[in-house]
Amino acid sequence: MQLIEKLTVLADAAKYDASCASSGAPNRSSKGKSGIGSTNGMGICHSFTPDGRCVALLKILLTNFCLYDCQYCVNRRSSDVPRARFTPEEVVTLTLDFYKRNCISGLFLSSGIIRSADYTMEQLIRVAKLLREEHEFRGYIHLKTIPDADPLLIAEAGRYADRLSVNIELPTESSLIRLAPEKKVLTIKQAMHSIHQGESEARAEKRAPRFAPAGQSTQMIIGADATDDSTILHTAASLYGDYRLRRVYYSAFSPIPQSPNTVPFEAPPLLREHRLYQADFLLRGYGFAVGELLSGPGNLALDIDPKLAWALNNREHFPVDLNRAEPSMIARVPGIGVLSAKRLVALRRQKRIRFEDLTRLRCALEKAKPFIVTQDYRPLQASRESLLLRQQLSETPAQMALW
Amino acid sequence: MRRAPFDGSFAGWREVARSLLQQGVPPHQVTWLGDGDSGGLFDQTPISPTPAATTPAPRIPKQLLELLQSAARFRIEDRWSLLYRILWRVAQGDRAAMLPGDIDGSQLHKRLKAVRREAHHLHAFLRFHPRPENAEGPQLVAWHEPAHDILASASGHFAERLGRSTWLIATPDDGVYWDGQRLHYQRPCPSEWQRLAQTPEDKGEALWLAYYGSTFNPARLNRSALETSLPVRFWKNLPEGPLIPRLMSQARAGAQRDGQAEAVARQGGKRIRHTHAQPPGVSGNVDPDLPR
Repeated sequence: MQLIEKLTVLADAAKYDASCASSGAPNRSSKGKSGIGSTNGMGICHSFTPDGRCVALLKILLTNFCLYDCQYCVNRRSSDVPRARFTPEEVVTLTLDFYKRNCISGLFLSSGIIRSADYTMEQLIRVAKLLREEHEFRGYIHLKTIPDADPLLIAEAGRYADRLSVNIELPTESSLIRLAPEKKVLTIKQAMHSIHQGESEARAEKRAPRFAPAGQSTQMIIGADATDDSTILHTAASLYGDYRLRRVYYSAFSPIPQSPNTVPFEAPPLLREHRLYQADFLLRGYGFAVGELLSGPGNLALDIDPKLAWALNNREHFPVDLNRAEPSMIARVPGIGVLSAKRLVALRRQKRIRFEDLTRLRCALEKAKPFIVTQDYRPLQASRESLLLRQQLSETPAQMALW
Repeated sequence: MRRAPFDGSFAGWREVARSLLQQGVPPHQVTWLGDGDSGGLFDQTPISPTPAATTPAPRIPKQLLELLQSAARFRIEDRWSLLYRILWRVAQGDRAAMLPGDIDGSQLHKRLKAVRREAHHLHAFLRFHPRPENAEGPQLVAWHEPAHDILASASGHFAERLGRSTWLIATPDDGVYWDGQRLHYQRPCPSEWQRLAQTPEDKGEALWLAYYGSTFNPARLNRSALETSLPVRFWKNLPEGPLIPRLMSQARAGAQRDGQAEAVARQGGKRIRHTHAQPPGVSGNVDPDLPR
């Protein structure tokens, strides 16, 4: 098989993993040195494909041969897909070539499970080691961690990789048992724990060897099973809490060729995925708790964003006077983000906030209007019923083309 | 109106602006004449850059100068008036002029944001072409068309990225060449540099194009998200640019049913037989552990 054919198969096999981040790495530079590659904490998206997702890393599998039969996965052993396997040297060649062309900022390497978890993990580490030691590559490396691999191997992977990730795959244990019979929540969480442990040790001692400085992330598939958003967000929140994950990625389940009957053959629920990312962002960046966004079982609204939904359900906190309110409360106003909230607080040290100031800060005024008070503005809608407001502010869901 | 001619550079503008401030000339009385600008009909004689009556130099926060220098990279007709107006207001004690919520400050921050974004676009969407090993001159060349004057300030990034490799970036206006140790900046861009950058002898793009086509998920086709993140003006200089419309129309014509790339769907598949009693193997004669 030619290299280009392998690349075609193994990029196709890897693309269902949503993560493409190349951020969070420490400052590294190759200026005046042999070898290539730099990182500075900021990620770079070098391209975007017509699905609107960014290409920051060369995202491939080492091989899509796999002994597991996870129903949602295009590479499950019972799937009738072409199979291929790179040699570690081939992955190195591709990474360096794409990197010099400025097409990528690094490598995101994963693999189907071959022979054993340990063997597979060793193969992944070998690629990272070749890149770092033989080619003095200082770009970004993200390695997928095989859950059942020996903790010593995970420790070794952490010395070469900027980021490690173990996929939680599905939001509940029962779904995992049903759809991914060879995977176990227990071993997935043990692997997350090993990574968390490695990070904490590296942080505790100044001179300790570095360990996955960009932290760990995970991915949850949305819509392959019937789990609701409330359960999904609670699972995510506990992962953030227990293992200090940097990110939980939500991946709308994309229909796969020769789909088994156990998973849906439907358009990926992209809007639901989007709302989950918004809710996740509110949990991480705005101090919201899951219970505030969804008080009981159920899904996030699709027609309005979760922050607006919270505001409509909690009208007693509004309208918020932008000249007096706490910054954290200003950031809870629909249409005003954390950055705008900071800017408003800076501005009100100089002058009284007026309505036109919000226009200049490019806040989403239609959304914010019913919820704010400024020097020269009070909302007429302050007493309007939430239901009416919601009708006025909801986004008409767009029909997916062809589905 | 007072004409304020200078060489078009930020350093040149700063000199003149300083002396205007010291002479107490308010912003509405100044016409800035950068390199190549001619004055207006009713302009008076140019003011001399050295102040006639010396009042003490106004105290300007260092941070403001950095903001102004960065905003000066934003290409717009009469880019200097806003900068002097803000400088004037801050010198008068009106610090709100620097803030994003202010009427002038919001313009300043809009320009700063566009300049930052354009530097990021350079780092993201520029593509180097390797040149033949025995060729003289830079090992890597790139052609890029930035919307603002960010090349000089933003191209040092590639020296960090590419180590001792030598490279050249040419644009319609200016160019940089990294010889492995030093950055050489030229404005205007030498035509030889432009020729090198626009006619690379690069036969190695096929792998990248194969990757781009395969990593795209047609079931998630989303044109507006693509165009927001990768503005259409960059497509023509990206090797993957011509692929974009083709992949979109394939997706609309049926490939959107599932996520698989067309080039993969065309190939024959292989199910893997797995029995727990024996060491795992693969159907047919293929050993999954051997590189093929």
